[in-house]
Amino acid sequence: MAEGVRFTGIPSAEELAAATGIPSEERLKQGRVAVIECVQEIPCNPCESACKFGAITVGKPITNLPCLHEEKCVGCGRCVAMCPGQAIFLLNYNYSETEAEVSFPYEYLPVPEKGDVVKAVGRDGQYVCDGVVTSVVMPEAYKNTHVVSIAIPKEYINTVRSMKHSADADEAEAPAKKDTASRLVCRCMEVTREDIEAAIAAGATTVDGVKRMTHAGMGLCQGKTCERLVARIISEKTGLSMAEIIPATKRAPVRPISMGVMADAAEQQN
Amino acid sequence: MKKMVTEIAIIGAGPAGLCAAIEASRLGAHVTLIDENAFPGGQLFKQIHKFFGSREHMAGTRGYEIGQMLLKELESTDADVMLGSVAYGIFDNNEIGIMRGTEHIALKADKIIIAAGGKENYMPFPGSTLPGVMGAGAAQTMINVNRVLPGKNVLMLGSGNVGLIVSYQLMQAGANVKALVEAAPNIGGYGVHAGKIRRAGVPILVGHTITEVYGDGHVEGAVIAALDEKWNPIPGSERAVAVDTVCLAVGLNPMTELAWMAGCEFTFIPALGGHVPMHNENMETTKQGIYVAGDITGVEEASSAMEEGKLAGIAAAAALGHLDAITAEGRKQEVRDRVNALRTGLFGERRRMAKETQVRAMQEYMETRGERIDG
Repeated sequence: MAEGVRFTGIPSAEELAAATGIPSEERLKQGRVAVIECVQEIPCNPCESACKFGAITVGKPITNLPCLHEEKCVGCGRCVAMCPGQAIFLLNYNYSETEAEVSFPYEYLPVPEKGDVVKAVGRDGQYVCDGVVTSVVMPEAYKNTHVVSIAIPKEYINTVRSMKHSADADEAEAPAKKDTASRLVCRCMEVTREDIEAAIAAGATTVDGVKRMTHAGMGLCQGKTCERLVARIISEKTGLSMAEIIPATKRAPVRPISMGVMADAAEQQN
Repeated sequence: MKKMVTEIAIIGAGPAGLCAAIEASRLGAHVTLIDENAFPGGQLFKQIHKFFGSREHMAGTRGYEIGQMLLKELESTDADVMLGSVAYGIFDNNEIGIMRGTEHIALKADKIIIAAGGKENYMPFPGSTLPGVMGAGAAQTMINVNRVLPGKNVLMLGSGNVGLIVSYQLMQAGANVKALVEAAPNIGGYGVHAGKIRRAGVPILVGHTITEVYGDGHVEGAVIAALDEKWNPIPGSERAVAVDTVCLAVGLNPMTELAWMAGCEFTFIPALGGHVPMHNENMETTKQGIYVAGDITGVEEASSAMEEGKLAGIAAAAALGHLDAITAEGRKQEVRDRVNALRTGLFGERRRMAKETQVRAMQEYMETRGERIDG
């Protein structure tokens, strides 16, 4: 399977090595420091203003990757809560003789409490080791994102990035397959793919044509769900491009409304 | 039928419509904002995650909080807000047919801004009409607005930002997301959104699709299969997953009915969701006096919808003489710069080029026609 964030959702070792937000080995060993695992150029810069010490810069354009100035980082953890992508973590290599501390954003319930023993997980959500919650903070400025810190064996400082938020999901077997209904394309008028293909075979080459022959798109939703599917089937069967297949003619009412009200209005006018 | 008049009618009180109403109203225009829902805000109130962008786009603020801020700003203006009001058609002379409960209204406007939004794509497969199969946006409304969990074990189809974000929020609401399936060979949305659900243990299966959903009156299982380079299921790769909910996050398309009905010219741009109304740099369509803003102009996201709304609001108010041309141009350029900042980078570039194509299509159309069609 291909590696890298575009394929797995997890930055590869190469992508992390090339990122501009990762502290050096020396800085890591000095204690609390942010690690910014942001490897894609997306328009986003709240981390820049989140840091009161100027340790994170994005600049212009705002798609630049955030740059960590490790000498300025005091390890306050504010950026951890402020990153909308939850891509910033706080690492403390010197938590104790044997343990490091990892802090991460946390938006699940229940919120863990100091002293809880939790299952620490890696970037892939898989169990790495047990961790002990050392602090849970959420000042108002964090806008409802908790920052949870856990103590873990030092060797896992570059592996652990979160904790399990619930009991293991039940791994029930799927029930035996049952026969299912045919494929409805227009749900309102119960028109199947086969009905539409038959209309095309009989000469319909437009959405309006298929609509007249099958009633697809004449129901309550007025084609909001099926119209594009009908267009795609026409394209498949006739070779016309999607650009050439214009939607059905739009007439009032474009939303479902009470015809009684319309009738009353007409009567009043007469 | 009740007759009403206004200077600027805005259809849709989502992020684009709200911003248009606030801007135009502040400039002194008489604004009537119409929405079919009981509450304004559109999809903003189900966006419980923190937004991207920069400070001026309100980045780092959760969507529903942006919604609350906009409603407060709207309250400070003189805009008339018609809720529970369905705009069912646009007729000659810029007259909008509206149904409010049992009340039938004809609203005549000097300018109309259509901010009707977008709608979710649907995918037909055997069993796709079983209860328990739903749009990801519908599931998001259920958990974040109605506080109802659609199911316990969910399978998500589609790895764009909607599929990734809704998967995360379903877990926040207490559901298990068993897997996210993506037909393309790579993840469509932001890596950081994917990272959140991977850390929560959700596998993301690229190059896979759902071939069938089954169950007795309700979803009980789904069959997923790997796809070859030609997007055909590979025989023997099928496997069943036990789920009670299947969410479809397979894209959105613009809600264009009113613009078609009004006679606006369209152009076809796949990157924006298909047929989209042509518009110029003021968000005005080929029909003079009819503007568009937000997802109806091409599917993007709430931050750019808000900017487009502001642009349309300023342009419409300026066209009515509420702002001199030079000041208006300055204000509009500020908004264009802000929205273009969102259309940059790995994911935004394609949209920026698509939007340029859309504006160019309008220019070419106007040059061929010689002049604008009167509204």
